Amino acid sequence: MSETLAAMAIMAPPSEVAKAPAYTAEELARYDGIVQRYARHVYNIAYRMTGNQADARDLSQEAFLRVYRALRRVQPGAPLESWLYRIVSNLYIDLLRRRPKVRVESLDAPIDTPRGELTRELPDAAANPEVVFEREHIDGAIQQALGVLSPDLRMVVVLSDIEGFAYEEIAAMLRVPLGTVKSRLHRARQVLQVRLRPFVDARRRGWQP
Amino acid sequence: MNHHRAGRLLSAYLDSELTAAETRAVHAHLLDCAACREAYENLRAGRELLAGLPAAEPPAEVWAAIHNPELRASSAEAEGAPWMSAVRAILVRFAPRRITVRRPAWALAAILVVLALAALPLVKGTVDRLHATEIGVDLYVHDHAMQMGTAPLVDRAYVGLVAGDAELVLAGETPRPVGDGAR
Repeated sequence: MSETLAAMAIMAPPSEVAKAPAYTAEELARYDGIVQRYARHVYNIAYRMTGNQADARDLSQEAFLRVYRALRRVQPGAPLESWLYRIVSNLYIDLLRRRPKVRVESLDAPIDTPRGELTRELPDAAANPEVVFEREHIDGAIQQALGVLSPDLRMVVVLSDIEGFAYEEIAAMLRVPLGTVKSRLHRARQVLQVRLRPFVDARRRGWQP
Repeated sequence: MNHHRAGRLLSAYLDSELTAAETRAVHAHLLDCAACREAYENLRAGRELLAGLPAAEPPAEVWAAIHNPELRASSAEAEGAPWMSAVRAILVRFAPRRITVRRPAWALAAILVVLALAALPLVKGTVDRLHATEIGVDLYVHDHAMQMGTAPLVDRAYVGLVAGDAELVLAGETPRPVGDGAR
């Protein structure tokens, strides 16, 4: 119950919550504890969702600003994961709403030009194994593949396969039924597998990045 | 368990998120079906790829901003369009206490709508009156309409509409006895 209240307080837009009162040293220490424990995860999720540092920075700062303003309503020792990550998810959806012009374009689709259709020449990932299997290269490829997924699918796959949460936890965070988590994850993995085919094949042959 | 259903459950099987009965059924199917074994291995390799991603480390500026959210809050309010913060400042100054201005853009829009609605009869009335001067035949009506066209705020009809008082007495006008209009 108190968790729900705290969550509601945190979900509220920042201006709705009155300016945070001066906190005691103890409360500030508690806030620092929350930051130490969750900041890396929040930033990582935000980065994998948005795919760029600037948005990841804004998202995580905004999320912690909300935690800070609602600090007195957060019970000491309460598990914050569920609603903290829900905030990140909601903030990301807000970000997409504010930026409706961003559109996902398939790299495989031909480009329409007045002189006919053009096809992008993409470097073949499998052509140069030495380059392909560098850590940075594969990170970029995975991030790009994540970017192709719809936000719903991406969030589930980030929480499950990158952050390692169980289905039930993800269902609670995103407030969706367990079956929805299952089916989204299944679909997301199908897409990722196709996109990351050379890396998947190499991984199966025992290659470790 | 048929091939199609097993295929849909593979992902959850990989995560050990199936019931005991489902797990046994998928396991049995995997022993029989090479295609599903192949799909399962691909899923597993894909999951390992994602799990192997290094965690993105927040840059120092993010740490600083998260540790001192109040600094960021004040700088965030300073950001945004300058007119927006100006509107916010004006609204905050004139709004009664305890009313926070959440959306300065909407507040400004609402005020503009109210002003437009108030101005509408004024503008329309003026246009009508000026129009009346062109076709008026009666000298009295002509003079009256002319005057009202140039000084619409003292037009009894308009002021009555705004003030809601039919027995309104305008400045400089001799008060009429009550019931005068009945005769």
